[in-house]
Amino acid sequence: MAGKTEDYFSYTKKLFDPSKINEKPEVFKGIKVLDFSHVIYGPVAARILAQYGAEVFKIEMPFVGDLWRFGVYWGKFWKHSSVCFHFVHFNKYFLSINLKSPKAKELIYKLAEQADVVVENFAAGTAEAWGVGYSQLSKVNPKIIYLSCATYGQYGPLRFFPGWDLLAQAASGAISLSGYPGTDKYYKLPDYLGDYFPGNVGALALVMALYHRKNTGKGQYIDLAQSEALMRTLPNFTYFSVTNQELERVGNTDPTMAPSGIFKSHDGKFVALAVATDEQLTGLFSAMGQKKLAAEYKNTFDRLHPRTARELHRITEEWVSSKDSAEIVDLAKEHRFAVAEVMDDFQIANDEWRRQRGSVISFKDDIYHQFVLPGPSAMLSKTPGRVKWLSRPLGYHNRYILKTFFGLSEEAIKKLEKERVIGYWDDRPGIKPPVYYDIEKDPIFNYKG
Amino acid sequence: MSKDKDKDKAKEQVLVRYGISRREREQFLASMMLPGDKPEVLGDLVVLDASYANFSGIIAASLFAEFGAEVIKIEPPKGDPARKITPYGARVDGVGIPFLMEARNKRYFELDLETAAGRNDFKKLAAKADVIIETYPAGQMDEWGIGYRQLSKENPDLIYIAITPYGQYTDKAKDLRNLPDSDITSQAASGLAANIGDPDLSPEPYNWPFRAGAWIGWYISGLEAALGGAIALTYKADAGQGQMIDVATSDAYASMVGYPVFIGFTWEKARPRLGKHDFTLYPYGFWKSKDGIVAIAAPRDHDFRALLKILKIWKIEDDWRFTFDRITDILEQIERLYDLIEAETVKYTSDELITKALQYSIKAARSKWRGGGVPIVMKVPTPSEAMQNPHWKIRESFQEIDDKKLGKFIIPANFIKMSESPPRVKWISCGIGQDNKYIRKKYMSD
Repeated sequence: MAGKTEDYFSYTKKLFDPSKINEKPEVFKGIKVLDFSHVIYGPVAARILAQYGAEVFKIEMPFVGDLWRFGVYWGKFWKHSSVCFHFVHFNKYFLSINLKSPKAKELIYKLAEQADVVVENFAAGTAEAWGVGYSQLSKVNPKIIYLSCATYGQYGPLRFFPGWDLLAQAASGAISLSGYPGTDKYYKLPDYLGDYFPGNVGALALVMALYHRKNTGKGQYIDLAQSEALMRTLPNFTYFSVTNQELERVGNTDPTMAPSGIFKSHDGKFVALAVATDEQLTGLFSAMGQKKLAAEYKNTFDRLHPRTARELHRITEEWVSSKDSAEIVDLAKEHRFAVAEVMDDFQIANDEWRRQRGSVISFKDDIYHQFVLPGPSAMLSKTPGRVKWLSRPLGYHNRYILKTFFGLSEEAIKKLEKERVIGYWDDRPGIKPPVYYDIEKDPIFNYKG
Repeated sequence: MSKDKDKDKAKEQVLVRYGISRREREQFLASMMLPGDKPEVLGDLVVLDASYANFSGIIAASLFAEFGAEVIKIEPPKGDPARKITPYGARVDGVGIPFLMEARNKRYFELDLETAAGRNDFKKLAAKADVIIETYPAGQMDEWGIGYRQLSKENPDLIYIAITPYGQYTDKAKDLRNLPDSDITSQAASGLAANIGDPDLSPEPYNWPFRAGAWIGWYISGLEAALGGAIALTYKADAGQGQMIDVATSDAYASMVGYPVFIGFTWEKARPRLGKHDFTLYPYGFWKSKDGIVAIAAPRDHDFRALLKILKIWKIEDDWRFTFDRITDILEQIERLYDLIEAETVKYTSDELITKALQYSIKAARSKWRGGGVPIVMKVPTPSEAMQNPHWKIRESFQEIDDKKLGKFIIPANFIKMSESPPRVKWISCGIGQDNKYIRKKYMSD
């Protein structure tokens, strides 16, 4: 045994040091992604690859742009841009090409020849109709990995139904799970989780397909259905097939743990508390100073019976309401049961722990200056994800990519502009640069090369 | 003549769009996408899942197992307490529903990490492993001498995934290292609970922060852990180096959707809870119909116009014409629109509304005058109703398991369709220590 080992937390601090992220290698360096997708579901999958080093070419219609450029909460644009759009599109190259023109298709096919991944999330069959479907692009590049994202997938009778996150939630049944039983109160999963979660599943599929290609040299077609990705997370189907009963809305508690719920503390804060195991129950009761009660509820399965669970819920509710939230957290540390204060948006954005950890990143962008956005919840010690630039106005990288990647001359680009094969923004917020920014002096937008 | 030509052209376009014929395209895609005996991505990989009373770890392990890895679930002799985390105590053969559902393609090995002998065995196994997943308090495995620091010395290409509420570094992680993990605390700490629930002035407790009725915190953490692991595997294949992955479940929701973070920053306030309304889009939520609740999505201007047409309330169009007239920041205003819509939706059954919306969409798609509005109406189904749709049968989204010991039940499966190497469920089994012999022989005989 070595005499003195370093403290674990000082070891991990060095291992994960957020200030060193940009010195570490990027996993997907050199991987090229052609991203036809829009709104959230598809773009998130492509962005996760970009976060870990891939070059993602986001293709948009000139003068129209992605619908989500205008997807702002309560109509609030931030520096003429949508904050959510920044989050689903950082580290990407913004190309604005009119796919309707044959010349544009030439460019796209050239890009597809060298691309590793294609992502689209149109209604099933649309990409094919535009000549950029798997059947067409896999001819150009047989090793390509093509991810089609749709609410219902690419085959089956529902495939032509259009979808939003809400409808994916509905089709999977997830929509009817949150709310108070015996009322007509239903809550959907907020913030388009029905797009984000499947988008992350799409990223997993892409990483796995890239890994498979590394081993076998084969590309493939991936058909991801938003609803199926959500269904994968629900125990309700299995529960139904075993018990023949519907597992429905349960109110503000978790039916898999007792006691569990969101309670109000003495100082008026909301505290989530849950007990999953017998050890944790003993811990909770000793924190309450009622160790004897633990024996009464020692059978885990019996504890979960609705009547017993309600009883435990009541005991806990009473106890929490007599204590300040900080006291409860201190007791939880000592007695080991799960507790967390309910965090709202403002607290999360300014949380010291998250800033230190790197799961909330303060980022300085060349165009938009100071911004704060989330980092991943999974931190990689050797190849962490990072933010390099935020989203850009429509067609911002046209010139840069056409010159560096396609080797086009300034005249050729001017000609494409004149023929409206490529294009830029008009005067709408969301697609244009912020007012204070002098785009004419921007070295990338006016790339000389 | 020219009209015929136009017709031919239109037909051709339809054919290009939908393939040779609908049925042929369907059959072709179906045969292309399902697993059959296709190769598996992670065929030769060994994953040790030492998670304890924590489904994030179990879910991450499941995802590796579905992509073909040999996943060994390590449990103390009494079994992982996660076996008993189940809705209302429902169980099959003593095993809870979620544990059963996640018992995909796994091996079960009995090992008590609390004993020196158990830790020794773990070390032996770890030397053969590619990925380790654990959910003990931060630093616990390190104290035991089987943490990343020690294991990576002997096995430098090891990928080590640790899942805890507050991570492995920072002062808070150290301070709160003993807090166990749960889904509801993950939802609360990561900004999900704060954004579900009725508005401020509603009666208590309806205006409280609310827990989403699914394991959102745990499934996000499990997915992110597997995603991080897959990225690390790619790096391992390139550079021959492993690494440590630190998942904090208190980050789950905020890190995935981002809204809490960038709204907290740009607006410098927390959003109030909006009940049934959405923050960005409108109409986008629930309405009552004659026979139950329907979900309606018609947020873009042309979708909204279409919705007004089918509900026959065009007269209000002037007041609510643009997306920016329908912003939900003034609650009374948006409730007025909500009521105007609901006054009409309650006149129809859900099926009538769905048919109306579909017929309009089909007509609108073919007409250049209607502006392509696509209002969407769906009945809000319970999961078991949602499961009945023949669509999922064709896509084999659910798999029936018929096990001698566990009996018959259904699990959601085949959630990613891939033409070359799709994930799949090969078997479900979950006896404590059922594969002890197999694992000792295969990995620990030398």
